Amino acid sequence: MNTHPFSRRDLLQRAGGGFGALALSALLEGKGHAASSLNPFAPKVPMQIGGKAKSVIWIFTNGGPSQVDTWDYKPELQKRDGKPLDGFDPKTGFFPGSVGPLMASPFKFAQHGQSGTWASELFPQTSRHVDKMCFIHSCWTGSNNHSPALFMMNTGATRMGYPCVGSWVTYGLGSESDSLPSFVVMSDPKNRGLPKGSASNWGAGFLPSVYQGTWLKPSGKPIDNLDAPSSLTPQRQRAQLDLLAKLNRSALAASPIESELNARIESFELAYRMQTAAPEAFDVANEPEHIKKLYGLDKPHCAHFSAQCLMARRMVERGVRFIQLYSGGMENQQSWDGHNDIIGNHTGFAAESDQPVAALLTDLEQRGLLDQTLVIWGGEFGRLPISQKAAKPGRDHNPHAFTVWMAGGGVRGGYHHGETDEVGFKSVIDRVSVHDLHATILAAAGLDHEKLTFKFQGLDQRLTGVESPRVVKQVFG
Amino acid sequence: MRDHLFALSICLTAGAVLPAAETLPADHAQRMTRGIETFQKDIAPLLKAHCLKCHGADATKGDFDIATRVDLLRGSHNGPVVVAFDAAKSVLIEVVNHAKEPNMPKDKPKLPADAISKLTSWINDGAPYAEPLIAGRKPKRDPSKVTDEDRQWWSFLPLKMAKPLSATQGAAKIDEMLLAKAKAKGLTFNPPAEPATLVRRMYLDLTGIPPTPEELQSTIKNPASNIQKLLDSARFGERWARHWLDVARFAESTGFEQDYDRPFAFHYRDFVIKALNSDMPYDQFVKWQLAGDEYEPTNPLALAATGFLGAGVFPSQITANEVERTRYDAMDDMLSTTGAGLLGLSVGCARCHDNKYDPIPARDYYQMLSTFTTTTRMNVDVWPDKVTSAITTKKAKDKDTPPQKDATRMMICGEGYDPIVMHTQGGPFFDQTFFLKRGNPDLKDGEAKQGFLQIFARPGDEKRWQWSPPEGAKYSGRRRTLSNWITDVDRGAGALLARVIVNRLWQHHFGTGIVSTPNDFGKTGNAPTQPALLDWLASQLIANGWKMKPIHQMILLSKAYQQSTQRDAAKEAADPANELFMYRKPQRLEGEAIRDSMLAVSGVLDETMFGPGTRDENSKRRSIYFNIKRSQLIGSMVAFDAPEPLVSQGARPTTTVAPQALILMNSPQARVWAESLAKRVSDVSDVGQRIKDVYLICFSRAPRADEITSGKAFIESQRSSYEAEKKSNAEALAMADYCQVLLGLNEFVYVN
Repeated sequence: MNTHPFSRRDLLQRAGGGFGALALSALLEGKGHAASSLNPFAPKVPMQIGGKAKSVIWIFTNGGPSQVDTWDYKPELQKRDGKPLDGFDPKTGFFPGSVGPLMASPFKFAQHGQSGTWASELFPQTSRHVDKMCFIHSCWTGSNNHSPALFMMNTGATRMGYPCVGSWVTYGLGSESDSLPSFVVMSDPKNRGLPKGSASNWGAGFLPSVYQGTWLKPSGKPIDNLDAPSSLTPQRQRAQLDLLAKLNRSALAASPIESELNARIESFELAYRMQTAAPEAFDVANEPEHIKKLYGLDKPHCAHFSAQCLMARRMVERGVRFIQLYSGGMENQQSWDGHNDIIGNHTGFAAESDQPVAALLTDLEQRGLLDQTLVIWGGEFGRLPISQKAAKPGRDHNPHAFTVWMAGGGVRGGYHHGETDEVGFKSVIDRVSVHDLHATILAAAGLDHEKLTFKFQGLDQRLTGVESPRVVKQVFG
Repeated sequence: MRDHLFALSICLTAGAVLPAAETLPADHAQRMTRGIETFQKDIAPLLKAHCLKCHGADATKGDFDIATRVDLLRGSHNGPVVVAFDAAKSVLIEVVNHAKEPNMPKDKPKLPADAISKLTSWINDGAPYAEPLIAGRKPKRDPSKVTDEDRQWWSFLPLKMAKPLSATQGAAKIDEMLLAKAKAKGLTFNPPAEPATLVRRMYLDLTGIPPTPEELQSTIKNPASNIQKLLDSARFGERWARHWLDVARFAESTGFEQDYDRPFAFHYRDFVIKALNSDMPYDQFVKWQLAGDEYEPTNPLALAATGFLGAGVFPSQITANEVERTRYDAMDDMLSTTGAGLLGLSVGCARCHDNKYDPIPARDYYQMLSTFTTTTRMNVDVWPDKVTSAITTKKAKDKDTPPQKDATRMMICGEGYDPIVMHTQGGPFFDQTFFLKRGNPDLKDGEAKQGFLQIFARPGDEKRWQWSPPEGAKYSGRRRTLSNWITDVDRGAGALLARVIVNRLWQHHFGTGIVSTPNDFGKTGNAPTQPALLDWLASQLIANGWKMKPIHQMILLSKAYQQSTQRDAAKEAADPANELFMYRKPQRLEGEAIRDSMLAVSGVLDETMFGPGTRDENSKRRSIYFNIKRSQLIGSMVAFDAPEPLVSQGARPTTTVAPQALILMNSPQARVWAESLAKRVSDVSDVGQRIKDVYLICFSRAPRADEITSGKAFIESQRSSYEAEKKSNAEALAMADYCQVLLGLNEFVYVN
């Protein structure tokens, strides 16, 4: 791709209101890359050795799954069922008035794989992959409320308006595709809403807006303006673009912004290609039957998520850099936010995602893509080991502990990092902050979180803030 | 020994930064002398080998720098690390003993016991340095203090005042100053642009819409004579208000979870348009935005102006332990926007720590922040002579009840009426604002009373700005006090205020500001390319009673503005960044102006001004009347780089990406408007003449012969293609196809 959407100088001078991208381009230059990358999506070389992931698929379990009911087995919690949790601050969760006693997990746990990983019965298929999965049990975050916690998990700040992980990765690595968006977001297609804060979760914040996530509309046409007006057949539109290019070219050489104008000519060609490339990438109908079956496209309870996981794999094959896939809609019973009836809630969302996620891991592996694709599974916080009182009890928000697992992209399979206390209330050993987690995700993609900066409001801003977070190196074995 | 004594005297002088409470032990001189020997023999090598790399040399982790003693004793962002003469109270000893996190040296084995014991004795001896650990290193500026040296930064200096000049004189002065600087490189202006190009440039620049063929005809003989008319047109305010709305991070919804609409927030947008159209003096423009309710409590326009403070995001769901932090966030949004938008300073950076670059201590931040202690968003009903709270303010439901009889309901941001309440487990504000350590509401450090940036305030000056409201007023007077300070040219921040706004005017006329970082006039921003010119323009603004239209006039009348965009390779080589302004670069129109121009040339533009906006892309009103909902931004605007309205934005990037092309190729609007444009010339039978007509409408010029030829060939070919499909309106469809191409041309979206 030869487009020059903005000149380096323009990027430096105009982006955001500061010396946008200076730090990055300086780095690239340091790597022996001349300042040739005028295109914001030009594929860039990772900044550190060790990062294997070329693409990231983040299965965002929206609403906050319960760690003690999924991947963080706590025998002690089973024993102390019904006992109070001493010293518990009722403001920890969202509903201070519905605080119940410790509640054993209603799900059965068993060990799986060579690693002997304990997993609950919620994920019979995904559990077969535990030896590929790397579990971080000691995650914690700073907010007990969905939208600040979502912003924290996506952007590293509880406030609105910061660039999300996908934007940073795309900014850092560019795109491998010349006809598809580099960062794609898929949300719940079952009319259960968007994650709280919606588009701010995949916004580019102060990074140039080209790095924001492209949200695929869950119904109707996934991307706006991909279809030509009815009168314009491909031939007639081609004729339009030919005339456009011809007229544009005649004025090119005389202008001091020749490269910018030239980029604009190229952008129409790219758009023309995108009209066919994007629907092709999103179309799972032509996948062979055994693949459709693998993902569970034939099963009504999970078909929607199967299709999205399959689309994610197709996009990875076509060079899309970052894909975020939300499991669940907005809150309460629309997502993993099991305030009431933790059994019904988690059973439902696990059932609709277990087979598709397992299939994604199988499929990526059999295509040799898993090594270069980081798959992340996790939400914005965890849930309390005590019950939230209700006819069918649930669990309230817990910022102090949750589990995130990763697979592929060079992470160490079957490894468990960090621990929560004996009932799974707080992360206590090898605690991993959201910034630590982000630094680790960037590292998996070959990006050094301290060097991936963007000048804004007078500061070299970075995803991981100023507190010197650390990469969880053990994750890479 | 002489050397030691010399070092000792330096160290003790430097001791001035020690906490005031420190008392030196009686035998401190002996101890320090002993310590210096240890320093040279053991400590310096130890620190250099294990600590300096991350704390002073390659990095300054945790803001802890050990290169000099002053820096060492200042500590980290968590507070003191080494307490001189008291190792027991020194965190350093705990972390090297691995008694406390973070264990040091980080990710390395613990230091030998012997080394720790030497460190301990050295600290007990006062932690003296014989010399900095890095040769030649001076202690860092103490960011909690503001010195006279700090006040010498170019943008903080007083302005040299000038007499107001006429527009023509002013234009000549601009050219004179630019040429004086360009002379050194032997450069001079490009020749003037062609009159038609200049007319088009002025229309697009001042109104955001190209001239009609009739307007072109009537002004081409003397484009300059038309400037005042353009400045006086209602379109001017609609064009330039959009620039300001980026600065004001203006939107009409709360953001966050529910992103509730703010259905009465559009009055602020209307205020900006009206203010710019009436050439409201900029100091008044600023005063009203900060404190319109305190200046004119019943003037609807003054009340609407306060929407500036209230335009930011605010969560709609707030848990009990978030109430206080959320309130500090809301006040921070007001202060940060005021800082970056009005003064070009990253005041918000001082929330968690003293600003490391600019002389803005955290103390200043919290004192300024307290201005907004009781300031909230409120919906009010406004009559010509009376204001009341809107009927109900429970759960943001004011929109459900109509305004009271004959009243206008508007969202303002001030004090004294019922605050808009969200789903919160706490109140709308707290009665006091505190100094917070590291921005953490759990670490309060005394109440912060109103004060201002010390760079522009000296002890005793406060009285100049202090304004006390009349008895029984609903407001505290603090915001009006702030506005007095910010506009005070002699002793307050007024000179910087003027510099920042004239730079914005220059930026939009030339594509780049004299300071290319329009929201950052501090140390991390870019230096002005033409500092004398910037100061002179600022002084002219003030001399002209802060009226901005005279400044626009001067700029537009200058040769600098009127020169051509003709390419000159030698000039580009001599001044690639165009810092001398001896040539012009074509500027891409913003998304709003592209869309408005398409509507205008298609003949379908609806010129209705003001009032509630819409999110319907099919709307034919100007783009400034799009309703801005944070979760549902207008796709075509975002694609063309409209910023997310979250923080103040001084300049938009100009990207060129495929979704922009898709909008022009495939959006229903682009197609419909192309059809409308084609219809405008459908009466003309001759294809060549039709092409000439649309060129004049779209590009303010006649087509060249080759353009006519290729146009004719295209129209003919498309027509026969449609005819082959037996389309009855083949001719019209072909012409629409052609018009759509023209609307997509570089020439349509770039201003030459």
